[in-house]
Amino acid sequence: MAGKRLQIGLYSLALLVLTGCERCQDDELPCATPNCSPAATPYSLEIPAFFPPMDIPEDNPLTVEGIELGRMLFWEKDLSADGSMSCGSCHLPSAGFSDPNPYSTGITGAQGIRNAMAIINIGWSPTFFWDGRAVTLEEQILEPVSHPDEMALPWSEAVERLQNSEDYTARFAVAFGDDVITPERTTQAIAQFLRTMVSANSKFDQWRRGETFLTDAEFAGYEIFLREGGDPETTPGGEFGGDCFHCHGEAGLQFSDYLFRNNGLDSTFAADPGHALVTGNPLDSGKFKTPTLRNIALTGPYMHDGRFQTLEEVIDHYNSGGVPSTTVDPFMKYSSGGLQLSSMQKAQLTAFLHTLTDTSFTTNPAFQDPH
Amino acid sequence: MYIRTSLPVFVLLILVLTGCDRCNPDPPVAAPGTAQMNVELSWGDEAYSLEQVEIDHNGYPVRLDNLQLYMAPVAFRSEGEWTEGADVSLIDFSVHAQHITSTLEAGTYDAVRFGMGLPPEINTDIDPASYPNSHPLSVIGSAGMFWTWSSGYIFVKYEGKYALETGTQLFEPVSYHCGTDASYRMVTIELTEPFVVAAEETASLTLTLDAAKALIGEGDAIDLAVDPVTHNGQGDSLGGRMMDLLVDAWKISVE
Repeated sequence: MAGKRLQIGLYSLALLVLTGCERCQDDELPCATPNCSPAATPYSLEIPAFFPPMDIPEDNPLTVEGIELGRMLFWEKDLSADGSMSCGSCHLPSAGFSDPNPYSTGITGAQGIRNAMAIINIGWSPTFFWDGRAVTLEEQILEPVSHPDEMALPWSEAVERLQNSEDYTARFAVAFGDDVITPERTTQAIAQFLRTMVSANSKFDQWRRGETFLTDAEFAGYEIFLREGGDPETTPGGEFGGDCFHCHGEAGLQFSDYLFRNNGLDSTFAADPGHALVTGNPLDSGKFKTPTLRNIALTGPYMHDGRFQTLEEVIDHYNSGGVPSTTVDPFMKYSSGGLQLSSMQKAQLTAFLHTLTDTSFTTNPAFQDPH
Repeated sequence: MYIRTSLPVFVLLILVLTGCDRCNPDPPVAAPGTAQMNVELSWGDEAYSLEQVEIDHNGYPVRLDNLQLYMAPVAFRSEGEWTEGADVSLIDFSVHAQHITSTLEAGTYDAVRFGMGLPPEINTDIDPASYPNSHPLSVIGSAGMFWTWSSGYIFVKYEGKYALETGTQLFEPVSYHCGTDASYRMVTIELTEPFVVAAEETASLTLTLDAAKALIGEGDAIDLAVDPVTHNGQGDSLGGRMMDLLVDAWKISVE
């Protein structure tokens, strides 16, 4: 009898200990976030070699169904007032998911004031738009649909159109747990899709992985890219390089420092103050976000206003040193005769920039129009 | 019989208890305190904000637009022993209210020491992409301070514009990028009054960098018109000179 009592006591103690121990586990509750859908399939994004981790918002985890819904919405022309434009209309795959025109034309025929930025590895960007006025991808996506010079559709109407579609309501239900459609959920789905648009298979990437070789010209261009600019006689520390790496550094292989800089295009900024519109600081006038150089050969025209048609024109601009102003970046060699690259060096630099082209990204079936 | 049936329970209990040890809290230790070091900027004895125009030692009007630096690590001395606090901090004077927080044992400290720049073991050979994006050495967190794979990070960025005469627009660029392992400097400052860190409390001190002293100090001066740029390349001593000047450009006060 005593033995039986001892056995029961031990069982009880073991149960208590096991129960107590469960509190120490670090298990995450399934579907703890507001938009989490138990019916959606978690999607694990593969981070390429040498890339940094991608910060994905806790309230917008990637799911297979969310990404597919985002792709549908990205290419959905019904998100424009007259049904003629989708996000993809200004972010064409053939142009590296940018607009081949200096300014995009909206449904009314009105034009924007800046060149549409290329969508590529955008999930790593900490700010959005040329002036940095959005700090999340979801916030950025919210703007073009209702902008009068772009898709010109009030969000209330956009939501109503989607709600009238059985296909979309079913897709939202799976992706977000119920069929409520909101502007926020719409932008979240598109953001999920855009975060999967990862490019890591350019010739340069293949070379970094040891899978191919760069030509002599391409490698010489890479060395120019990494060298300090300027004639050492007139520019202390100059190495007759292109000085590209300061702003388009290869850390994380994104070729952008994501900062805002004035690269000496203009001496006055009344036409477009750039980042100063966001900060209110006059000393941010003429500063724009450093774009990535990935797929740069496909994403012309160049600069925030698309003023340069070719990479050669871009390199000529930097080679000139740009024009002085109170906010011009000190990397620009405007006061010391420019970079002074020879014609051959400029051609080599151009050859290197072409190695950043990734057509497997632009032709990836997973990113094309599903409609 | 009872022993035979109880034995597995005993074994299970021992296994569970042993496993559970891992999730039991460590034995109690003395609660630490927090040292908050506020980092501020001055030009001479006056508080300075980036983008203000000041006059340098040669009479040139100068405006700093960007001043960033790594401090790694920060340490505090108590009874002759140094205790390391924050390991790597990126100070960006374009952002207000810069501070470095260190967790320390409660006690009285009489000196502060910090590395200006990054020690060699974390300056090169570690891929910035291996850090989480919030880390000051990560691709994004380094905010343009990563240089190249071989030379590592820029330790100090001191950028702006100057003119040769007052009353004119500032167009001439100033760009000092100091870095490479040889430019790493250690700064030690004796405190003039004891810095007391109490358990579970935050004690503050203020570290002030005199930006004017980056250009002039004992035995050396940098002339903006002669040496406006350095990238710490081979044969270029200017970056090291500025780091030496910066060693003496700090002062500290206990709040």
